[in-house]
Amino acid sequence: MFPIIHWNLFSLESLITLILVVLIVVDILLPKTERKDWIGTLSFVGLLGLIGFWLTQRNLVGETFGGMFIMDSLAWFFKGFFLVAMVFVFVMTQQFFKSLGSRRNEFYLLLWLAMLGMCLIASSADFLLLFISIEILTISLYVMTAYLKSDKHSLEAGMKYLILGALASGFFLFGISFLYGATHSTRFAAIEQYVSTHSMNPMILFGLVLIFSALGFKIACVPFSLWVPDVYQGAPTPVTALLSVGSKAAGFVILIRLFFGIFSSWHGQWHLVLAGLSAVTMCYGNLAAIFQTNIKRLLGYSSIGHAGYLLMGAAAGSVLGASAINFYLLGYLFTNLAAFLVIVLFFITVKSDEIADYAGLSQRSGLLAGVLLLALVSLAGVPPLAGFFGKFILLLATVQSGLVWLAFVAAINIVISLYYYLIVVKRIYVDKPRTTSPIPVSLSMRLILVVLIVGIVGIGIFQGPFLEAAMTAVKGTHL
Amino acid sequence: MIIPHPLSWILLLPMAAVVFLFIIPSSQVSLIRRVANVAVLLPFLLSVWVFAAYDSAVGGFQFIEKIPWVVPLGISYHLGIDGINGVLILLLGFCSFAGVLVTQSVKERVKEYYILFLLMTIGTYGAFLSLDIFFFYFFHEIATVPAFLLIAIWGSGRKEYGAMKLTLYLTAGASIALIALIVLYNALGLGTFDLIQIHQHLVNHPLPIEVQNWIFPLIVVGFGITLTLWPFYTWAPIGYAAAPTSVSMLHSGVLKKMGAYAIIRFAILLMPQAAATWMPVVATLAVFNILYCGLIALTHRDIKYILGYSSCSHMGYILLGLACMNIIGLSGVVLLMFAHGIMAALAFALIGSIDDQTHTRNLDELGGLAKSMPFIATCFAMTALASAGVPGFANFVADIMVLLGAWDHYRWQTVLAVLGIVITAVYMLKTIRLAFQGPLNPRWNKLMDAQTSLQKLPFILLLTALIVVGCWPSLILKNIESGTKPILQNVRLTTLRGQ
Repeated sequence: MFPIIHWNLFSLESLITLILVVLIVVDILLPKTERKDWIGTLSFVGLLGLIGFWLTQRNLVGETFGGMFIMDSLAWFFKGFFLVAMVFVFVMTQQFFKSLGSRRNEFYLLLWLAMLGMCLIASSADFLLLFISIEILTISLYVMTAYLKSDKHSLEAGMKYLILGALASGFFLFGISFLYGATHSTRFAAIEQYVSTHSMNPMILFGLVLIFSALGFKIACVPFSLWVPDVYQGAPTPVTALLSVGSKAAGFVILIRLFFGIFSSWHGQWHLVLAGLSAVTMCYGNLAAIFQTNIKRLLGYSSIGHAGYLLMGAAAGSVLGASAINFYLLGYLFTNLAAFLVIVLFFITVKSDEIADYAGLSQRSGLLAGVLLLALVSLAGVPPLAGFFGKFILLLATVQSGLVWLAFVAAINIVISLYYYLIVVKRIYVDKPRTTSPIPVSLSMRLILVVLIVGIVGIGIFQGPFLEAAMTAVKGTHL
Repeated sequence: MIIPHPLSWILLLPMAAVVFLFIIPSSQVSLIRRVANVAVLLPFLLSVWVFAAYDSAVGGFQFIEKIPWVVPLGISYHLGIDGINGVLILLLGFCSFAGVLVTQSVKERVKEYYILFLLMTIGTYGAFLSLDIFFFYFFHEIATVPAFLLIAIWGSGRKEYGAMKLTLYLTAGASIALIALIVLYNALGLGTFDLIQIHQHLVNHPLPIEVQNWIFPLIVVGFGITLTLWPFYTWAPIGYAAAPTSVSMLHSGVLKKMGAYAIIRFAILLMPQAAATWMPVVATLAVFNILYCGLIALTHRDIKYILGYSSCSHMGYILLGLACMNIIGLSGVVLLMFAHGIMAALAFALIGSIDDQTHTRNLDELGGLAKSMPFIATCFAMTALASAGVPGFANFVADIMVLLGAWDHYRWQTVLAVLGIVITAVYMLKTIRLAFQGPLNPRWNKLMDAQTSLQKLPFILLLTALIVVGCWPSLILKNIESGTKPILQNVRLTTLRGQ
């Protein structure tokens, strides 16, 4: 019998593919000398249209392709997350590659491909589809990381990311084969059923460890985070932003499906492991960040620290823990993208990412300094900003699950992270600028920055609706 | 006259001013100053009105406003005042208004200064007014962090070090306390952060003593760092010395009282049995505060350091009063918070007005200033007397109440605490002698005294508050006692039941 395919469940991904194809055709037809950024404009319009379409999919639930592809509230939440993040990444790309001319068109196409991969990840209900989606995302990221082919940092970053990423993919496939060997299926539902009726056995354990190490690569948790500082520093800044927000969130949606869905009946066995990883990850990220002199590298280590905080929610293993992860990512999206957009705009004029060059930024551009200040203190977890409430519910979930020691480790880390964020703040606001020439910010960029500020402050003050959205996202799953 | 939602207005007016200040260009200095002054004056008047309109015969929480905020976690925007925080917002009203008036002397980056100063004020008001544990913490942090920029940009001396130390210490303390509060929330299992509901539940179902015994010290130490509990006081003198005048005023006058307030509300009120176990330890630490910091103050030559250590030393009396767990002691604590707050703000304001002109606060370089600035010198002499607990000032009444309250339980601690008053008198009189008396150093011939009535206003305002309350303490003690009595009744009730 041939299975029926519910195309409406798959419509968002179909549309992304369609737009991608149209853009390729437009790119071929356009004369190469065309200076105007047609692909960028079309991409932007297409993306806004897609967000509108995504809103209509709110109550769409079901599975298709024989259970390989599911659409539920979690998938819906994260697809929206990726689309919104992409809006800002497109803006950054448009600014960052102004000087690259027609070569930037291919970059947009790669971004669309990455987005397709992320949306598929959110809907995967089968390890094979999951593997393919991760590869779609990761391969486009390899290319984008090494995109500045005359910059040796970019090439180095691309190489590092490729080698470690390929290794992670290998682990992932190897892990899947073990799971298949034990359960005779790659389908999430089938494995979940097997897990709920069996106790832990070495074969599954081995498979799980291998799969987790591949995930650890995506979310940047210790010890799989070695690539982070170099790649964050070397990659073009829009790619860094995508890595830190999109790719990390994609890792966490898989983590939620895995540990809160498939393996949830073994919670007792894995939650201490996750708690330990969480503690080590946040300490490593935050301590190493203290010594950084490059802002992208600093945010790279800080992103490892944040992976550690997010893992607390996974270690908690409760509905609140999963909701906390979702909420935290939501705040992290606006906060981190705001920081990276400032870095892009700063780089365009000053051509530097060194923290020393940020000295006296407040006197060169009050807006850029203000946005970076808000982003940094929000990352540190200061109210009334988004990062504070995210940390608050993560701590709440952790304490509720009895991991009080982990909450204390997190508290120490919050103080450490405040230290290095405040050092950057000090540079921006207290130190004397080397030159007082103002840094121009166009009107459209001002608007985007204000949108990001509203996001950071709005989520931080009116936490209720966002928390409820984060909670409904996990309610539809098997929790 | 009835003002609807006075407490919300206290928060919303300065918030609106902050938004407005963001919009107007920073070149409009006089407009910015006017907006900021009004944004501080109106909440001050509202807090006076609220304090006067509070019915102490009825007691309990009044002017309550409650809006559910984050329903799944039981967080609500919940404001209200009783006798205790009513006095504290009055204190904040006085200090913030005096502070914004002396800010006239800030000439650089005026707009940013006022925005940060207003944020600090909003945070402090919010923390005192909130009856929701989450929102208390929320506002507490808003009050703490702007100080980093205020000190690092506009400060003097080792300002970057001082700013960082202050911020990190306070955040570390607050994080410890936050986890303790989350553990408390979790142990209760009520699913609400509402202080009143939690309290009502606890009166009948106290927490197991083992749980209380390990949450209590975390809260006391966590918020104790804000209150410069010995040995966690080292951030304060350097922070105050580095800070610009109005920040020193607000920080030593009001912000550190948030620590004492939190200990009253969360530790003593909610966990009275653990208080019985732990309070002797607190009383002993209090003596260290009083003597250790007092003796350090004796050795310093920089007036702001002397005042900073003096402020840490005086927190010892607050801690000692908290430890007594009786009406006279606890009411003395709240009165002392008020009296010390006004006195500290006044002292820092006076030193600030000298430092603005001399650019030094070193006792060896100053001298004879009374001849060129008679008004400032007179005010400082009166502040010093208040600080040393001379009758006629509010500090005397408060000190006496705390010492009387402590005598029954902590004999030797009380004796040593009295010794602390002598130490205070020594370093205060030394400061007066070296800075204001003796031959006038010719360098300071041209110093300007406070001349216009606007310049004199902040000092007169604060001094009047000290003297009026000192001569007529029942003016505010009536309110304070209506707030402290129910707390201690509850303590007695639960400890009786515990036995």
